[in-house]
Amino acid sequence: MKKILRFFTFAFSLFTLSAFLLTACVKEDTYDNSRRGNFEALWKAMDEHYCFFSYKRQQLGVDWDEVHTRYASQVNEDMNSTQLFEVLCNMIAELQDGHVNLSSPFDYGRNWSFFEDHPENYNDSIARLYLGHNYQIASGLKYIILDDNIGYVRCETFEDGIGDGNVSVMLNSLALCNGLIIDVRGNGGGQLTKAQTLASHFTNERRLIGYISHKTGKGRNDFSKPDAQYLDPASDGVRWQKPVVVLTNRAVFSAANDFVKCMKQCPNVTIMGDQTGGGSGMPFNSELPNGWTVRYSAVVLYDRDMQHTEFGIAPDIQLSLSGTDLAQHKDTYIEAARKFLVE
Amino acid sequence: MTVVLLLLSSLCAFGQDTIVVSPNREVLHSSMIGAGWANVLDTYLSPYNYKGTDFRIQRETQRMTTLWNGRVSNQSLIDVNACVNENHVGNIDEYAGGIRYSQGWFYNFADGNIVNPVERSASRWNFAAGLAASGYLGVVYIDRSGNNPAQAKADIMMDATAMATYDMRIAGHHYLWRYQFAIPLMGIAFSPNYGQSYYEAFVLGNSDHNVLFAYPGNMPSMRHRLTLDIPIRRYTLRLGYVAQFNQSTFNHLKYHSWTHDLVIGFNKYLYRK
Repeated sequence: MKKILRFFTFAFSLFTLSAFLLTACVKEDTYDNSRRGNFEALWKAMDEHYCFFSYKRQQLGVDWDEVHTRYASQVNEDMNSTQLFEVLCNMIAELQDGHVNLSSPFDYGRNWSFFEDHPENYNDSIARLYLGHNYQIASGLKYIILDDNIGYVRCETFEDGIGDGNVSVMLNSLALCNGLIIDVRGNGGGQLTKAQTLASHFTNERRLIGYISHKTGKGRNDFSKPDAQYLDPASDGVRWQKPVVVLTNRAVFSAANDFVKCMKQCPNVTIMGDQTGGGSGMPFNSELPNGWTVRYSAVVLYDRDMQHTEFGIAPDIQLSLSGTDLAQHKDTYIEAARKFLVE
Repeated sequence: MTVVLLLLSSLCAFGQDTIVVSPNREVLHSSMIGAGWANVLDTYLSPYNYKGTDFRIQRETQRMTTLWNGRVSNQSLIDVNACVNENHVGNIDEYAGGIRYSQGWFYNFADGNIVNPVERSASRWNFAAGLAASGYLGVVYIDRSGNNPAQAKADIMMDATAMATYDMRIAGHHYLWRYQFAIPLMGIAFSPNYGQSYYEAFVLGNSDHNVLFAYPGNMPSMRHRLTLDIPIRRYTLRLGYVAQFNQSTFNHLKYHSWTHDLVIGFNKYLYRK
């Protein structure tokens, strides 16, 4: 029995010693699930991970420390969840970033002023008249040939799995057209790779489209050296060689914003419409002690001149939807693009 | 406890057919499955601990070699685990798991034979210590959208490892306690940088301190296993407890996976011709 005890003493001692040394090692300090704890957790999550503090300070005068002081005084333990949610959403709304959101079971906190404060410049009922009933759909891309032999492609999202095969089939169908309209108005983004897959069919050579940089630490200025971001021509399928017009409005956001950034570098491409909505930060998610999910911009995507496109990309030709055209069931944007391409 | 052991062994008395064999031709195969508790933290995904149920499978082969006058034994171990966790609020699920393969070489102290100490060692105590090369591939996935839903885990390490066995005899039956621990000493490990997206690392191919030198300072991990072998005819029932503390702090990202599993399986001794 003594020997058994010795064995267990040996094993238990090693286990306890190592367990003590190890479990004491890697832990993360977190806040408790109180009103104050959730407020501090949100402020800290943003403080350590958000990637646009210096840019937002420069553009909007947002001082994140001052924001903490101002909103901390509005938080107390007597608040209900709705009131806490409102204060937290107001705090993150200061950053005016569509990628910064707070998600609770009862509401989705956001600042969508990037398109809500501007004319929509898109009327779905009118735009659908151009598609009619006989349009085709290739992985979410709706397309048809208009009367003046101009191809029209409606791209509402990059959430769909757009592949080289889908794009090639579509471009083959439109091959006899004199020009192509790609209408991304209202496209709120999706997968960056899908946006670049589509854009890769409009260049014959590798093009510098921008730079990308991520955070390397908790400091607000801890960033990696920007790495060049290239658009490579599609290796499989059809590459379009004729003129292209990309139609944009303020609701073109995130991956769609990046699509416009890519297309702007491609030959024979003209951007027409309104400034895009921006959203050039790649969003990450985290959570609060009460389980609410927070989303924030974590990785910066610059344009090829190392400029931010967080607040959008200006078009080559500015357009506004005309009330007169609407009355005649015409879309000013599409009509202008057709005229541009025909001429 | 003693009564239970005797009942199990009474299914058949310990008394395998004794064959005169060379000790270094013997092989021990062991297969175990188990379940237990998991606690996972990965600050790339969330600053909070996720807790849940762990499932584990281990497949082990041990054999004595002719190296160092037959004092060196070899162990190959495949260790697979998967756990289903949730955050403390219970509104987000997490799935984590991986597979580790290790090859270890042990020096058997005194006249020990750590593979089959009951048959081959004069002493009831046997100790062995050595080094193991191990490789791990794993993933932690949190069930929510975003560009950081998952984190890949990979390392290739040299581990310090040691084993002790004790041949406990009750009413003429042999019950073998076996304890083993392994501590990763040095190697290389994968980690994204603090705020680096997988899009950058794998689509664009932009590396940024993604392959790191790992040592106990940034990867303070340890794996333990305690088992009890209960012989039943030509087979041996194995009951055990597996505790693993895998941790790292790479690129300001903290990670831990603490698991405790109760395991059950069978051993079989084979003779290599």
